[in-house]
Amino acid sequence: MIIPMIMMIPMTWLSNNKFIWINSSMYSFIISLLTIITLVTPYNSMYFSTLFFTDPLSTPLLILTSWLTPLMIIASQKHMSKEPITWKKTYISLIIILQTTLILTFSSTELIMFYILFEATLIPTLIIITRWGNQTERLNAGSYFLFYTLLGSLPLLIALIYMYKSLGTLNMITLMYKYGSLNNSWANNLMWLACMMAFLVKMPLYGLHLWLPKAHVEAPIAGSMVLAAVLLKLGSYGMMRISIFIEPLNKSLMYPFMLLSLWGMIMTSSICLRQTDLKSLIAYSSVSHMALVIVAILIQTPWSYMGATAMMIAHGLTSSALFCLANTNYERIHSRTMLLARGLQTVLPLMALWWLLISLSNLALPPSINLIGELMIIITSFSWSNPTILLMGANMLITASYSLYMLTTTQRGKMSAHAMNIKPSFTREHTLILLHLLPILLLTTKPGLILGPTF
Amino acid sequence: MPPWRGKVITKVVAECGALRGSGSEKLMFRRALQRGLRPGLSFRRLGTRRGGSTLDWDGKVAEIRKKIQSALPGDTWDPLYDTSHLPPEHADVVVVGGGVIGLSVAYWLKKLEKKRDAIRVLVVERDSTYSKASTVLSVGGIRQQFSLPENIQLSLFSANFLRNINEYLGVVDAPPVDLQFNPSGYLLLASDKDAAVLENNVKVQRQEGAKVCLMSPEHLRTKFPWINTEGVALASYGMEGEGWFDPWSLLQAFRLKLQSMGVLFSQGEVTRFVTSSTSMETSSGEQVNLKRIYEVHVKMDNSLEYQPVECAIVINAAGAWSGQVAELAGIGMGPPGTLQGIKLPVEPRKRYVYVWHCPQGPGLETPLVADVSRVYFRREGLGCNYLGGRSPTEEEEPDPTNLEVDHDFFQDKVWPHLATRVPAFNNLKVQSAWAGFYDYNTFDQNGVVGPHPLVVNMYFATGFSGHGLQHAPAVGRAVAEMVLEGHFQTIDMSPFLFSRFYLEEKFQERNIF
Repeated sequence: MIIPMIMMIPMTWLSNNKFIWINSSMYSFIISLLTIITLVTPYNSMYFSTLFFTDPLSTPLLILTSWLTPLMIIASQKHMSKEPITWKKTYISLIIILQTTLILTFSSTELIMFYILFEATLIPTLIIITRWGNQTERLNAGSYFLFYTLLGSLPLLIALIYMYKSLGTLNMITLMYKYGSLNNSWANNLMWLACMMAFLVKMPLYGLHLWLPKAHVEAPIAGSMVLAAVLLKLGSYGMMRISIFIEPLNKSLMYPFMLLSLWGMIMTSSICLRQTDLKSLIAYSSVSHMALVIVAILIQTPWSYMGATAMMIAHGLTSSALFCLANTNYERIHSRTMLLARGLQTVLPLMALWWLLISLSNLALPPSINLIGELMIIITSFSWSNPTILLMGANMLITASYSLYMLTTTQRGKMSAHAMNIKPSFTREHTLILLHLLPILLLTTKPGLILGPTF
Repeated sequence: MPPWRGKVITKVVAECGALRGSGSEKLMFRRALQRGLRPGLSFRRLGTRRGGSTLDWDGKVAEIRKKIQSALPGDTWDPLYDTSHLPPEHADVVVVGGGVIGLSVAYWLKKLEKKRDAIRVLVVERDSTYSKASTVLSVGGIRQQFSLPENIQLSLFSANFLRNINEYLGVVDAPPVDLQFNPSGYLLLASDKDAAVLENNVKVQRQEGAKVCLMSPEHLRTKFPWINTEGVALASYGMEGEGWFDPWSLLQAFRLKLQSMGVLFSQGEVTRFVTSSTSMETSSGEQVNLKRIYEVHVKMDNSLEYQPVECAIVINAAGAWSGQVAELAGIGMGPPGTLQGIKLPVEPRKRYVYVWHCPQGPGLETPLVADVSRVYFRREGLGCNYLGGRSPTEEEEPDPTNLEVDHDFFQDKVWPHLATRVPAFNNLKVQSAWAGFYDYNTFDQNGVVGPHPLVVNMYFATGFSGHGLQHAPAVGRAVAEMVLEGHFQTIDMSPFLFSRFYLEEKFQERNIF
């Protein structure tokens, strides 16, 4: 899987100019179909070597990552069409490099290797955002993105090195059997904080979420897709892995972050209701959904882990699809303001169907996998502490209202006069959204695949 | 003192003396220089300046500081060179033309957007001194005495706007807006043959809610003793909401308010519209090309530098030059007689305004008098000054390529009629004169408002032929409603749409002068 991915880079550069898009899309699609093999595993884990392994937590994320590569390439075709050929090839190569590092990340056994690749994913993303983003603010957005993540993850490096020194190995598999319990000392508390901070910034936690709306809004479509779908999940995946090693402290130290997440999820949902920029609305909804995942991971019960993993995959697909839909709007009207592109249902009815289905999944309509994730998280948080159900209920309500608000503003109503000659939807766009929707619909029939290691 | 030092001192002092400033400032400069020239203090010789022999050391340091500051996160980053004079790379609405109509459209767009900061508006103005803009060269009158109900409604709305200007355009912590509104009214005079038309017009105006009264010649003589009613059969006098105001104050008020609302201003000229077109079929099977502007190239002054601004909507409020802007978008490039071939029929027409002094002239209550002979005048200030002019006939149209004033026009065509109507004007002395452009709609002398049928995202707000200033607030609101809602809400401006040029339905306004 990794070698085919790496080989795609020379393939892109050596392809005939007319075929770069087709070649890269098709081959990355084939590779993604290959990854589905990892789902069928005898004892729930596959150990490829001492360096790489997959288990039911990383498998869905791996499949999501490789499924997203062809989708990113397909989505970028239109806005890259006017660029010179070398830049197009560079762009595709960057996407492929990003995917390769992500696959390596999700399947790594060593924590240090995970960390290095975690940081390495920042570089292609940063290049995509700052070079191909749409507005001057993208440079600002790139700096925010880079520095927030770097500053958050530097303490993690130190903590990992310390753990290596004290434990002798950082291999996740062997460490799962370690009997370790950290006593409640200042140093251990700081180490807990150091470990968690990197992932909380990446998730993002409500107080540290400033980089996300900026990065999402300014990134080109492929950047937004991969950011929303996969890079955020790196944070949650890391948190789930590292919680094993810093075990008993969680119960006492997680309260501030729990509070921030619970409050943050309502705040960011409410901000969504006030947004005028479509991409900004989707970015804030990402923060809101990820806050739910943080709550689940910090509670640390089997059901909550199931909910967290289901939510991760569901949100990845839904958010990415929403960004693609927003991009179809942007390419036609050349503006991201929701007000300027109204009443599209009469002009683009099939696209309106996709808008409807994806918005409905976003607001966790049964029986979608979003609902399964959210429901499990709500159940576990209720059992952890009864009053949280009020906040969770309020959040579901506000999520529903902003999703429907987004739907009705863009699709319903009278069409604006200047939107009269927008080009009809391309087959490519329909394929893109359908390929997003297909896993969501199919997973509804067997959600056990994405429910993670505690299923 | 060495001789060269003396030369340096005298040269610098001479330069300071040449600077604008009163005599006491020059004295201060001289004293400061002499103080600095004492040895051992701040005066340094050329070679011992900070930075050695690098000229403009401080300037260079300031540049480097600016570059470092712009590279830190928090501000927009200009990695290679300073781009602060360029417009942004993306705006939702680009308003071409920064006169009162363009600013009004921008104002209402920001006012009617449902959420704060929903729409990003960029106003592009070619000449930041407004030296040729119709707004500032205008006489500044506002009247409701039109023949078309829509125009009357527009004026009523605008009068209300101007009356409550501080509610609309007031900015916190700024001094209140003072338009110097003189509510003296308009007096339109009609001869025998036009009396019936005037009466009809007044009826329409009254129906729409304007307060206008009809006056007979005796009534006129009683009210305005300075008038000579020979040849006047009927007159209509506006009693409320009519008068004149200072257009420059209105422009500045709009500008200040817009800056506080977050509208971006840019100084530059629109040189190109980049469009994408799709070909569609009408219901009768004809092929039409619908175009969409997605990029506007704004060129900076005195340089070849331009900035492509990606936009969703373009508003053409370029006044007298709207025709050229429309041609850039390809409006009118097509076989004549088809919709593609209809140009925007707005062209600049020059009109003169003369200011004269007449010590025995009409008093303070003088309205803006529009005579039968199409001569008009009004009081200006409190010192027996008056200004006025005349609409030339088609044959006498002056050359619109420059703003030179023809004084013979006053002598031959304006003064005689003035003197007939107001005998006191027999002895007057012309103080000054200026010329301004009308954005003259050659089709029916009425404004063009609304989207173009083929270039779907270009909206017009132009062609008002001399009554644009008084309709500006209302027209701005109409265009903003069209953009944001999709249809006109407050006043139905559908007769003003561009399609009337193709359908050849004239929406003629008769009371133009």
